[in-house]
Amino acid sequence: MNDALATAAQTNFTGWDWGIVVVYLLVSLGIGLYVKRYATTMTSYIAAGRGVGVWLGVATMSGTEMGLITVMYNAEKGFKGGFAAFHIGVLAGLVTLGVGLSGFIVGPLRDLGVLTIPEYYERRFGRKTRVLGGIVLALGGILNMGLFLKVGSMFIVGVTGLSHAGWALPLVMTALLTLVLVYTVLGGMISVVVTDYVQFVVLSCGMLLATGMAIKQLGWDSIFSEVQSQMGMGGFDPLASPAFGPEYVAWQAVLGLVGCAVWPTAIARALAMESSTAVKRQFTWSSIAFAIRLIVPCFWGICAFVFVTRMAPELGPWFGVGDQSLPPGEEAVSPLFAMPIFMGRLLPVGVLGLVSAAMIAAFMSTHDSYLLCWSSVIVQDVIAPLRRESLSIGSRVRLTRILIVIIGCYIWAWGLFYEGGDDIWDYMAITGAIYFTGAFALLIGGLYWQRASSSGAFCALLAGCSAVLGLGPIRGPVARWMLAAAGKPVTNEAAETLLSSARVGLFSVAFTLAVFVIVSLLLPDSPPKQTASPALNEE
Amino acid sequence: MVWIAIWKVVLLSSLALFALLTVVTTVRGAGDVRRLFQRLEEERQDPEVRE
Repeated sequence: MNDALATAAQTNFTGWDWGIVVVYLLVSLGIGLYVKRYATTMTSYIAAGRGVGVWLGVATMSGTEMGLITVMYNAEKGFKGGFAAFHIGVLAGLVTLGVGLSGFIVGPLRDLGVLTIPEYYERRFGRKTRVLGGIVLALGGILNMGLFLKVGSMFIVGVTGLSHAGWALPLVMTALLTLVLVYTVLGGMISVVVTDYVQFVVLSCGMLLATGMAIKQLGWDSIFSEVQSQMGMGGFDPLASPAFGPEYVAWQAVLGLVGCAVWPTAIARALAMESSTAVKRQFTWSSIAFAIRLIVPCFWGICAFVFVTRMAPELGPWFGVGDQSLPPGEEAVSPLFAMPIFMGRLLPVGVLGLVSAAMIAAFMSTHDSYLLCWSSVIVQDVIAPLRRESLSIGSRVRLTRILIVIIGCYIWAWGLFYEGGDDIWDYMAITGAIYFTGAFALLIGGLYWQRASSSGAFCALLAGCSAVLGLGPIRGPVARWMLAAAGKPVTNEAAETLLSSARVGLFSVAFTLAVFVIVSLLLPDSPPKQTASPALNEE
Repeated sequence: MVWIAIWKVVLLSSLALFALLTVVTTVRGAGDVRRLFQRLEEERQDPEVRE
């Protein structure tokens, strides 16, 4: 944040809090070094030897999906949209519960014993689909995590009161990335699941504590009444909210499903479980965490909004809240800073250190899993299938480690240089859609539709890339061009209405499914391949 | 007013479930970590056990 805002923010963060954070980081590093001895095979390196029990599975899945990026983008949604943003978490929890109870997609996948989703593509649709699927998955996934490091570091900068105008943000980004790279490279999935467990415990306690203190500070009823007076019923009704609406809500339902049943880091947890029964229990219990990971940070964003409007109106101009104007020469800052500043002023010394350690835990548990996931996909599903000679286990582990470092360098550079105008959540949804629209069609079609063909699968993967149109720097010019071509007034509001990210995402999903079905019917496999789905084999 | 009541119930029940999940996962997850290390140690000492 800029210096004038830093002065206004008056964080409670002290040397004691730094001490708590440093001790926590050293413990995480120690775990990575300790478990390195067990990471001797590819199965143990990327799937923890498939020996993860239900409760460790719940902890590691929750720890991974409850990342600091998740906390930040949901706080941003809550700050801007009020309680109406709760619908995102509620839908995610309900859909995950449905997947857990039914075993939809995740159960059959675990029964097949594959290590990655593209490996399933090969069994069902052939090698070229696996390679293309691996490339699309890795590209979409790596692009998706491009802003994780920057946004996570913004939390640290905001909560500690450091200035982001100078060296602080790049320094925090570099330090956090280095730490995650060290223990992920050394210990692989074993290190990831064990540190995820520790991180889940610290994170959950920190989140519950911070939420309780926020309610105590602001008052339960006051929070609701302030949102009502500032935002009206649009702050509660997602269908009537100017920030959301029916199309956006439908898009969130799709995201809830793919977030738990198609997204590779969630699937990686399912594939590391002992059995498909354990997978179903894992998802059923994790549905609580899938909802809460969105609802609680969203509530923090709402509390930050109430805090700014009621208790710290001097901060309002920086976030575009209230009637005051900015001091001369000052510029507005991202609403992403509102929640960490609120935490920095709300929590007392010691508790602030614990919550910051919890948030760094959330940051690391997401980064380690994502880095491991994308790098192992590139090795297992792109490089290995394309080579004529088979890759030794040692070579695969070594390549995975090298790629983890390369991807780490990319997210460091992307975080510093990307200038998009999207909300973080919308950026992530649309970059994720580049991968998951195709994967969604292939997994459902492959597991549950016997006439799904290799040609249909290949074309669906390519069609899924249409989601890239939803990225702000592409969507804006395309929408303005469409408006101009139609002879309509070209304004930013009209462009956003014509091509919202939710509309592009829903279009991309429908388009990909249509391509998959039509091409499968027109170009069936000959002779028909025997389905790899145990569910279909039983029929 | 219906939406306000809905979100109050959602928030309270979410926090209560989260607290319960935290306690259960912390206790039973510790047992899973112990069993995971036992299994990995056996695999490390006896390569025949590996998949």
